Amino acid sequence: MTTKSTSVIKVEHLTVSYHAKPALLDVTIDIDSDQLIGVIGPNGAGKSTFIKAILGFIKPDIGTVLINGKSAQKAKGEVAYVPQRGAVDWDFPITVQEVALMGRYQQIPWYTSPKRKDRQAALEALEMVRMEDFVDRQIGELSGGQQQRVFMARALAQGSDILLLDEPFAGVDAATERAILEVLERAKQSGKTLVVVHHDLSTAAEYFDKLILIKQRLYAYGTPRMVLREDLLSKVYEGRLRIFSDLIKEESQ
Amino acid sequence: MYELFIAPLTETYFQKALIGGSIVAIVAGVVGCLVVLRRMAFLGDALSHAMIAGVAGGYLVMKMLFDLEAHAPGMLLGSLIAAITTVALISFVARISRVKEDTAIGIMYTGIFALGVVAVSIFRHYIHIDLMHFIMGDILGVADTDLWVSAFVAAGVLTVLILFFRHFQIATFDPVMAASIGLPVLFIDYVLTTCVSLVVVSAVSMVGVILVVGLLITPAATAYLLSDRLDRMMALAALFGVTSVIGGLYLCVWLDSAGGGAIMLFCTLQFLVVLTVAPKYGLLARWLRLRNLIPQQIIEDILTTVLRYDKPTPLSVIRQYVESPKGLKKPLQRMIEDGLLQETAGGYGLTPAGDKEANKVLKAHRLWEAYLETIGTPKEELHPTAHQLEHISDTNTVKYLGEKLGKPQNDQRDQEKQ
Repeated sequence: MTTKSTSVIKVEHLTVSYHAKPALLDVTIDIDSDQLIGVIGPNGAGKSTFIKAILGFIKPDIGTVLINGKSAQKAKGEVAYVPQRGAVDWDFPITVQEVALMGRYQQIPWYTSPKRKDRQAALEALEMVRMEDFVDRQIGELSGGQQQRVFMARALAQGSDILLLDEPFAGVDAATERAILEVLERAKQSGKTLVVVHHDLSTAAEYFDKLILIKQRLYAYGTPRMVLREDLLSKVYEGRLRIFSDLIKEESQ
Repeated sequence: MYELFIAPLTETYFQKALIGGSIVAIVAGVVGCLVVLRRMAFLGDALSHAMIAGVAGGYLVMKMLFDLEAHAPGMLLGSLIAAITTVALISFVARISRVKEDTAIGIMYTGIFALGVVAVSIFRHYIHIDLMHFIMGDILGVADTDLWVSAFVAAGVLTVLILFFRHFQIATFDPVMAASIGLPVLFIDYVLTTCVSLVVVSAVSMVGVILVVGLLITPAATAYLLSDRLDRMMALAALFGVTSVIGGLYLCVWLDSAGGGAIMLFCTLQFLVVLTVAPKYGLLARWLRLRNLIPQQIIEDILTTVLRYDKPTPLSVIRQYVESPKGLKKPLQRMIEDGLLQETAGGYGLTPAGDKEANKVLKAHRLWEAYLETIGTPKEELHPTAHQLEHISDTNTVKYLGEKLGKPQNDQRDQEKQ
């Protein structure tokens, strides 16, 4: 690669609607590689539609989503998805190693079993998130942060350059949040682009290189300083202004 | 002994029941794992009930068109069509109306079951279906065609499940990820539903409509209590299915009872036994874990007592300050194992780790005491209440209390200045 950062996700004029109600309206974003990007916006702002669009699950009314230059619907597996903790059945009979190995399933033809190199890749991914000592544990026995890291490992084992995380910091304590952030940072340094749906505005500025503020339409995309502005936030999060004025003050200190 | 165990084995009806029952139980157990994990147990129930309409339809069509009496493949096909129609209707109703899925299942399967019952009674001169047989099953009277049908169904379904194990696993565990790597999740769902229908259809002639759900989910649920991997769960479920059939058949011969009922009874007892004794997810294990659990409160009380005493503390002193309904021997033993305490000639002393821990609790105690004072708690209640609250000593709480206590003091100073 000659240029240091290139565009990996290119969203142009994306409009998606459900029953004539727009979930996303004319969203245009160009995400460069090797960055930690936060997606923020109130509930019902179209964040999950945005995720689905990037994963290629929905056909937009108009506009395009390009992943590494390919249409999102054709680029299956090029975005590795890390689900919200609440969306996972933690009682499922599956071990840490098996979850990580799932990241390799796309590469394994249906008629063969996982090979040694697949197991190796899964183990390496687990080492990267420091979960290699837990390979035989059932996933429900882990702490919240460990669970999150196992799913990070699965995404890393997938070998995709783009990771999409749905609220990885939801429901974990402050120390765990640090540990997860560290893994994200390490992934970024190894050349991954991470797109993280985030709900906690008070940490958004500190965690991410760039922020995407959406509520149906794109309100801002840029550095935290550019996005976390009082006028913008008050427009997007109506009626909860007082909290944000505090937040922005802290920001400017 | 011979009479009890070997004699039944020499009877042809027993052999057939054993073979047929085992085949069905194996495949039902394996498919059942996915049914249990996807929470579709109610759907299995629906499929088995809906079948009767299909059986009647298949019987009628073959009789009218080809003049074949009780044509097994025709009835099988009919049941399959009925089962799949039911599933389609359920998802249709659940999707387009405000009626939720469980209600849609209840409406559709009783409706189609009723249709079957009405059809069977209207055409009773053409169709010779014994409703009672259909509902209760007749494993001791298994016909050869039934055996062949179930053998083919089992072979087919098991082949699909083994070949596409990973696909079923990932589509069950994390459908979103499955879709994101390009797997046809919806198609996999349909294949699984078809497999469940096939298994249900082939099992109904043996154990009957009502018990077939049990054969599908009870062995799978039993295996679920014992395994942390899906492949092992499936293998165990198949095993438990077979043991239910064997145990149930002997039970039925010894007690001279209904075959299907005996099998499900044995299966359920088996589940209850495993539920009790399972090493990790069993009731006994849970009870033992709870019993061995030493409340953090007792450990912390011991730590602070020793810290305050400031030299090796004899047991009598600890007993005086620490309330422990189940005695102190086990907590002390555990704390020595965990490296918090050490036993010396004069009594118990703190290790460096224990000292650190004890100081943490003591700090929390002081913070809580100060906090209680600011909110106007009576003096005589300060210490006992703080003693209760000191166990809430995580970093966030301590930090919060520290900040909270910092501010009122400033406020007071401000007021003094004015």
